[in-house]
Amino acid sequence: MNVKSLTLIISLVLICPLIYLVYSVLGLNLENFIYLWNNLLVGYSFNTLYLVFLTSIFSLILGIIPAWFISTSNFKGKNFFDVVLFLPLAIPSYIIAFTYSDILSYTGPLQSFLRNYYPDIYPYFNQDYLQIEILSILMALVLYPYIYTACRISFSLIGSNYINIARNLGMSKLKTFFKIIIPISRVSIFSGLFLVIMEVLNEYGAVKYFGVNTFTSGIFRSWYSMEDVDTASILAVCLLIIVSIFFILERYSNSKYNYNYKSNDDVSGNYTLNRSSKSLIYFICSIPFMLGFFIPVIYIIKNTVDTFSKIDLNELSILSLNSFFLAFVSSLIIVVIAILFQFFKKISRSKTIFFLSEIVSLTYALPGAVIALSLILIISAFSNFSGISIVFGSLSVLIYAYVMRYMAVGISPLKSSFEKHPESFDQTGRNLGMTNYKIFSKIHLPINKTSILIAFILCFVDIIKELPITLILRPFNFDTLAVKTYEYAIEEMIAKSSIYSLIIILFGTVLLIFLRKIINKSLNVS
Amino acid sequence: MKKILSLLLLITIGCSNNQDEMIVNIYSQRHYDVDQLQYDNFEKETGIKVNVIKANADELLQRLKNEGDNSPADLFITVDVGKLWQATDMGLLQKYEDSSITDGITETLLDKNGYWIPVTYRSRIIVYSNERVKKNELSTYEDLADDKWKGRILVRSSSNSYNQALLSSLVANLGEENTKSWANAIVSNFARDPKGNDRDQVKAIAAGQGDIAIVNSYYIGLLLSSENEEEINAGKAISVFFPNQAEGDRGSHINVSGIALAKNSPNKSNALKLIKYLTSDDAQKTYVNNTFEYSVKPNIEPNQIVKDWGSFKKDPLDLNMLGTERKSAIRIFDAAGWK
Repeated sequence: MNVKSLTLIISLVLICPLIYLVYSVLGLNLENFIYLWNNLLVGYSFNTLYLVFLTSIFSLILGIIPAWFISTSNFKGKNFFDVVLFLPLAIPSYIIAFTYSDILSYTGPLQSFLRNYYPDIYPYFNQDYLQIEILSILMALVLYPYIYTACRISFSLIGSNYINIARNLGMSKLKTFFKIIIPISRVSIFSGLFLVIMEVLNEYGAVKYFGVNTFTSGIFRSWYSMEDVDTASILAVCLLIIVSIFFILERYSNSKYNYNYKSNDDVSGNYTLNRSSKSLIYFICSIPFMLGFFIPVIYIIKNTVDTFSKIDLNELSILSLNSFFLAFVSSLIIVVIAILFQFFKKISRSKTIFFLSEIVSLTYALPGAVIALSLILIISAFSNFSGISIVFGSLSVLIYAYVMRYMAVGISPLKSSFEKHPESFDQTGRNLGMTNYKIFSKIHLPINKTSILIAFILCFVDIIKELPITLILRPFNFDTLAVKTYEYAIEEMIAKSSIYSLIIILFGTVLLIFLRKIINKSLNVS
Repeated sequence: MKKILSLLLLITIGCSNNQDEMIVNIYSQRHYDVDQLQYDNFEKETGIKVNVIKANADELLQRLKNEGDNSPADLFITVDVGKLWQATDMGLLQKYEDSSITDGITETLLDKNGYWIPVTYRSRIIVYSNERVKKNELSTYEDLADDKWKGRILVRSSSNSYNQALLSSLVANLGEENTKSWANAIVSNFARDPKGNDRDQVKAIAAGQGDIAIVNSYYIGLLLSSENEEEINAGKAISVFFPNQAEGDRGSHINVSGIALAKNSPNKSNALKLIKYLTSDDAQKTYVNNTFEYSVKPNIEPNQIVKDWGSFKKDPLDLNMLGTERKSAIRIFDAAGWK
């Protein structure tokens, strides 16, 4: 089999939900869609845009500013902050939403404490916290690391030349930041923002709890409450189109702007600090970490300790093992496919393969539940057609769905890494009489080692947090940490759910710290 | 690579179904700890292993539908009778035939078509602030549309199936036009946009954000038996009111958590045994004391906390109507702007 047809087959297997969706929209019934348009869609779209907008703004603030200080200043504890600012990524958005709702609720620790000890100021805190604005802050608190990481790398690579020139031209620090640094870094900022937006568009659990109806809520309202698959599919396709536009924009901006980074030019220590600006930096770097990681994790640990006697350790270890196994195997498959695609792209230089390797990332835009349900539909159609019965409740179907959903997460770091290395490597290899396999194993595998590891860890952290696909496609008696957390959390048994969330966060934290280390090492980021 | 492939193959094969086993497969919307307890007890008693997949009713319905003849499911369990009707309507269920299975169950709770069997029931009631509302101000669901409640009513979102069931019962009892004007009026009486779950509504009363709330009865029991003292206090700040109890009135809206045989149930006799077990006196007692739901058998008394609220008259409406009227209920919600 040649490279092209192999790529084609793998791609088809990966994007069949997209094909199914588009296909199903062709024979649609517009009546319900018009109803939805007239009654709800304007409100849903507005909510979605508003939530995306606010979350983006907050994520940008929380991500860019600390990244700037850490990249350009030397201060005590800098390395500590550089690691911990990354950690909120380990917390799933539904867990942070439920945890903070509990902390802030009328019966939660904050309000109870104030009610009992400071009744005078209590009324100011007795508020309805289930607001779209609060939700956007909470989501930003766990999503900003996407932007932080992108900025950290970009700021460190910019080098001090730009800053020095700006300074010599008499630009203030603030002006330099807004007129030089931000524009130069916009490509990386945008790629981080793209991931944030995807996550917001996909979010369902937290959004529902906060009573915010978004586009994704619309999909489920039509599918479930109205029993109208057609309309749900139209909405999903609309969502897909919106995301594709962002996607193309991101790719376009990536290809258009190529700044000359001087990677060995150290920017750190560029600004000397007096005492007050030092405290300001500590304050600014602490906020995202405290709110996005420290406080929720402390609260979760406290709940775990409170409920410790009731924890079934046997069950806990099975759940952890399940989660670990699924995330490990799926991430491995994703990374293998992603590497193959990038390699094929490189050796064949075919437009088709380029196109296919881009399009498999699009499934990332679909809500997990839509992927799961369309997968069931496709597989049953396939079984009826071929006579081969496929058992839904098998782990392989679940893993298949994960691979489909998270392909983009694995592709993105590999893509940039593969593209960085010049063609001459391959040519030299070929001149030395190496076969394609040899070029792959002796050249590409070793030089892309770091990004392969990065891709694997990012997939792993995402999959261990995954919820809707697992809920729908899992086998009998099969629970994961995320599922268990969710089951207790929606029944408002936050305390009972805490041990499971804690393990998810623990897995993520360990891996992210490790990831931080390898990124910094490979980029020589200081 | 070879190792991975063989591992994958192993997973696939390892999960295939074996026939004629001592097993029963459940798709369940119930995911309380008590359910696992019931299944464990059943397994101890009969040696039949209970396999469960828990997810939202709608997702399970889609899964059942799409799996078609290949579905391994024996039983479908929901916490909303509307979804049982929907499953019937979609042709995903089979009749239970053995009529002895419903012996001892309250007649009005039964499915007239013979598809599903009620396991527990709950009422969607009104709770009110002890401080700011007098009991005699409350009367019926219809009365909640009155101007005197402006800015005082708390309730969760219309995407919640308990609310959809309540509105379906109003459509069935009052007709579509009356329900429309009721929904429009009650939305203008809301204290805030619908959000959170039922317990959040009670907490919001305690916090003073509203005065009355529409919630499921058992949530109050859960709140009052909480380990968090503040939650118990919140539960004590409110009282329970059963609407539409006056002489000649229809009674409070109830909903059923029920179980039904899947159309292609591969382990049918085991499934029937489990249904019998879950409606047995022992299992019914376990339910009422753990989840504060009501038993479907009149001889099983509710938990003491629930009993203290007093007995109440149940709306005798054919429960299938909570499913048949669902779509018009949702359209009414949308038109009224009930988020």
